[in-house]
Amino acid sequence: MSRFFATGSDSESEESSSADEITPKATGTTFSKHIVCCPLRFRFEELTNIIKTIRNAMKIRDMSKCLEEFEQLYRAFLKSKTIVDKEGVPQFYIRLLADLEDYLNQLWEDKEGKKKMNKNNAKALSTLRQKIRKYNKDFETEIVSYKEVLNCSPNVISSSSKSDDDEDVTAKSLMKKKPQEEEKKAPEASKFLKGESESEEDEESEDWGSDSVDSGGESEDNEGAAASLAVVFLKKYVYGDKQPERKKDDRRKRHKKMEQVDEEADEEGEGEEGGWEKVKGGVPLVKEKPKMFAKGTEINNAVVIKKLNEILQARGKKGTDRSAQIELFHALAGISNENNLGEGILVKIKFNIIASLYDYNTNLAAFMKAEMWKKCLECIDELLDILFENSNIFIGENIAEDSENLAISDQPFRVRGCILTLVERMDEEFTKIMQNTDPHSQEYVDNLKDEGRVCGIIDRLLQYLESKGSTEEVCRVYLRRIMHTYYKFDYKAHRRSLGLQGETKSEQDQEESEGEDSAIIMDRLCKFIYAKDRTDRIRTCAILCHIYHHALHSRWYQARDLMLMSHLQDNIQHADPPVQILYNRTMVQLGICAFRQGMIKDAHNALLDIQSSGRAKELLGQGLLMRNMQERNAEQEKIEKRRQVPFHMHINLELLECVYLVSAMLLEIPYMAAHEFDARRRMISKQFHHQLRVGERQPLLGPPESMREHVVAASKAMKMGDWRTCHSFIINEKMNSKVWDLFPETQRVREMLVRKIQEESLRTYLFTYSSVYDSISMATLSEMFELELPTVHSIISKMIINEELMASLDQPTQTVVMHRTEPTSLQNMTLQLAEKLGGLVENNERVFDLKQGVYGGYFNRGTRTRPRNLIKDHFQIKINCGYQQRQNYQRGGYRNQNQSSY
Amino acid sequence: MGSLKESAVSGSNPLDSPVKQIQIDGLVVLKIIKHYQEEGQGSEVVQGVLLGLVVEDRLEITNCFPFPQHTEDDVDFDEVQYQMEMMRSLRHVNIDHLHVGWYQSTYYGSFVSRALLDSQFSYQHAIEESVVLIYDPIKTAQGSLCLKAYRLTPKLMEICKEKDFSPEALKKACIGYEHMLEEVPIVIKNSHLINVLLLDLQEKSTVADKHELLNLSSSNHLEKSLQLLMDRVDGMSQEIVKYNTYCRNLTKQQQQKQQYLQRRQQENTQRQSRGEPPLPEEDINKMFKPPQAPPRMDTLLIAGQVNNYCQNIKAFTSQNLGKLFMAEALQGHSS
Repeated sequence: MSRFFATGSDSESEESSSADEITPKATGTTFSKHIVCCPLRFRFEELTNIIKTIRNAMKIRDMSKCLEEFEQLYRAFLKSKTIVDKEGVPQFYIRLLADLEDYLNQLWEDKEGKKKMNKNNAKALSTLRQKIRKYNKDFETEIVSYKEVLNCSPNVISSSSKSDDDEDVTAKSLMKKKPQEEEKKAPEASKFLKGESESEEDEESEDWGSDSVDSGGESEDNEGAAASLAVVFLKKYVYGDKQPERKKDDRRKRHKKMEQVDEEADEEGEGEEGGWEKVKGGVPLVKEKPKMFAKGTEINNAVVIKKLNEILQARGKKGTDRSAQIELFHALAGISNENNLGEGILVKIKFNIIASLYDYNTNLAAFMKAEMWKKCLECIDELLDILFENSNIFIGENIAEDSENLAISDQPFRVRGCILTLVERMDEEFTKIMQNTDPHSQEYVDNLKDEGRVCGIIDRLLQYLESKGSTEEVCRVYLRRIMHTYYKFDYKAHRRSLGLQGETKSEQDQEESEGEDSAIIMDRLCKFIYAKDRTDRIRTCAILCHIYHHALHSRWYQARDLMLMSHLQDNIQHADPPVQILYNRTMVQLGICAFRQGMIKDAHNALLDIQSSGRAKELLGQGLLMRNMQERNAEQEKIEKRRQVPFHMHINLELLECVYLVSAMLLEIPYMAAHEFDARRRMISKQFHHQLRVGERQPLLGPPESMREHVVAASKAMKMGDWRTCHSFIINEKMNSKVWDLFPETQRVREMLVRKIQEESLRTYLFTYSSVYDSISMATLSEMFELELPTVHSIISKMIINEELMASLDQPTQTVVMHRTEPTSLQNMTLQLAEKLGGLVENNERVFDLKQGVYGGYFNRGTRTRPRNLIKDHFQIKINCGYQQRQNYQRGGYRNQNQSSY
Repeated sequence: MGSLKESAVSGSNPLDSPVKQIQIDGLVVLKIIKHYQEEGQGSEVVQGVLLGLVVEDRLEITNCFPFPQHTEDDVDFDEVQYQMEMMRSLRHVNIDHLHVGWYQSTYYGSFVSRALLDSQFSYQHAIEESVVLIYDPIKTAQGSLCLKAYRLTPKLMEICKEKDFSPEALKKACIGYEHMLEEVPIVIKNSHLINVLLLDLQEKSTVADKHELLNLSSSNHLEKSLQLLMDRVDGMSQEIVKYNTYCRNLTKQQQQKQQYLQRRQQENTQRQSRGEPPLPEEDINKMFKPPQAPPRMDTLLIAGQVNNYCQNIKAFTSQNLGKLFMAEALQGHSS
């Protein structure tokens, strides 16, 4: 009994400093395990503890607290019923009941004091009084006997209590301390096992709080309690030299993990080394640790899973601290590791860690912080490590929770979760990070370095899934792989194909990465997807990427054929925006590829759609256009922002425009020259014309500065057939640095361009000036345009065959003899006028038909039997005659025109 | 300058117009020419005010002054103010100061436009006998003074007054492009002294310019005319298309309206047989707003302009053809 008394009152009377008090407590924890088996002491400790609190509350007249504690005491007493039955009602319990009743009665009588009480307290007082009266009836005999004893020998009691008070720190042997420690842990353990709610935890912490109030006189609020708690536990590391070595190691391990979690981890780590450390008022830190501790006693699979589920339940709730959750998971993983619970559970926990890492940002638009990202990568890496090492783990998203097998047994592990989804999500996060980093900063480069790791992870996952996954999963991971490959130019393969004996260094590079060419990889992956994929989207993406990759590596015919075979043009407008963006990118790359191959027309056609809209930037997902807010609200803008392609995948817009404009120039200028007088001349490229017009509007023409000005100036030179000037405008230092040097085969492209310029200039020259010549020697032309004679010959022959040029070749003298068949400008004008009049008459006819209500005016005049107004008929005949004449005339005209046009 | 005297073209006789003949002083002609040569360039148009008197049915134009060319920027310039100022000054030096019309240069005979119509209407509305003199500098430069006086016909005046250019109104007015403008014959009158001087000059002038008799005018002129003609034909086409769509819309709506009315009537008879009150009458015009009719005045103007061009081209080509025949004959004769 005396022992119980001692513990019951020791903190009441404790005068020692808090630090002194804490030290033994800390050491005590380590032994708590051995003592848990004694139920008697355990129960009684609980009771004494509560009694202590009640006495505290009595001292400060906190009635509501008293009431609360009393109810708890009552409950605790019921719990220990069996023991009580065996041992009899403990004296201290009776004493408290008696004291409490006396105390309450005393308070009740004290009318003045009652008035001073606040409402809550007063209410609690009356309730408590009634309760205790009722309750005490059960113990009437005991209380009476106790009071008798008290009255008979007050001295005994006082002395005993005094001796209790006098007990100093040293007297509190470990044995006494242990139970106290034990009782601190006990409720928590019970909480853990029973999964009880927070209220108990609160009480518990309040227990602690009151403790510290007594010792340190601190305020009683929760935070203070928590902080002091933290002190207690943190100090454990410092003084915990008595702890077994194993424990310490574990803790160190856990600390290592924390390091990655927390920025402050460093400091903490130092703290571990020795000496004091700053307590970061982090409540989660504190919350977490005690829990792990309690578990330490009986860690097994079920416990860990339960805990895991508990943490999971908090997920998504409002007040949940997400970073704390992540740490909890980590700690759990550490514990399950240290207890060798097997990979199954570890995999499960890892899954949850990664998932909660993704969860960290509630906002879809926000991106991961760098540390989180690093951790995420590591986790996935570790997870993959485990999966590779243990081939007996089955994972899948369709494994039900119930059928999971996490325990170590003969059966293979079965874990619910999908690594593929996690990796996909990771990839998306990576994209998001790249989208949200300033592309011109060093940070972007640093972030981009992670791409290697991302690719590595995807590669490993690919290997894993190839052996384990279903075809759909393989398709998905293949697509991820493709997405990371298609836009990269394979310099090694390029060099190899050129047959260049690179310098020793580059050769080393080559040897270092003996991997296949990206082309082969792409081919393999894409073909697998073509064959196996059943979702249309993945196949579409794969095709587009494949085409892009082909085009990027100048395999024009493969790219074109694939594009034509896929029939994507027909239904791409039904695809979702990201796929459409990919399609646009592919088309652009295809166009640029065609240009490099000298397929000017194809290049122009491929780029026309993108460029003519003037929204190339938006269509390629490389930036948002400035538009007013009416057209798009903030929500839409966010969505659009999410669609943006990361900077390192961008296609150079200037290059794109330049390629387009140059190909337009090469097509349009000869066409314009050929159709100078044609009224129905169509523009091949509106944008090019727009640029020309802009150029014309300039009041003062300086030397060209921008790429566009260069092209416009070149076009003007070409119009005159002056290929040399044109050449110098298109290919010069400025343009080289801006555009042409960006191609992998710069020199070849430039040669091709020069050649094209020469040829098209020759054509333009012939169109424009053929009327001036009677005949012209091909040798002269070949000299003028620095083309070989056969080329000139072939060009002119083609023009003659196409009826573009009214001329014939005189073989012996190697001259072109012009035929004067082109109409003069006046004749042209008349032809146009005739045509326009035809249109006018037709329009007039229509009005007339409307009036008549009969369609077909003059066409079926002969067959019409309906009587008509004579005058109108006459009118119509007149028109008709004129029209027919005109038609005859026009037919001749058309021939002429056709000749001149093609 | 062949014959400064009567280069007037016989026009249709004005019916009841107060002015049957216009007599222009040589001074006015020269002033107009000078004005154009100093300020007009290319297709730019110069304008000025004619001053004179009405004597019986003859309008005598004795003086004129140009409107200053002003750019867009000086907004402060007040034309009316300037005119009044000018006329007051002229009165001070005892020159005819009565406003009798205005003149305008033209470019290949393109003058039939909305602007001309509007301003001539306002002139004629204010001063009944006012005319517009059209001066063609290009033809004049080729050797034949081209100066024509036009007035709006009373019919057109009526229409303009009502400002109703809808197809119906024009139909009712029975106006065609031929009846829009009436040309008034012009007589150029010089003082005897000037006549004597001219005769004297004629004697003295060299024979050199007589060689140009058979010179075919450059095809440039024809080309320009064709171009302008083409432009107008295009305009005409557009107008017709506009009108056409309007007509179609109108008939479509008419049909709809008819259908609606029929349905309404059926319903009403049904209701009557059931003893219910008929549906309330609704404003049918509110439900079927007739489509906006395109103003037809533009079409008329274009037609007038086209006609003008055609006359020009006809005159030009016939002249040239004559010359060609003459040249042929001469060549055959000489060879």
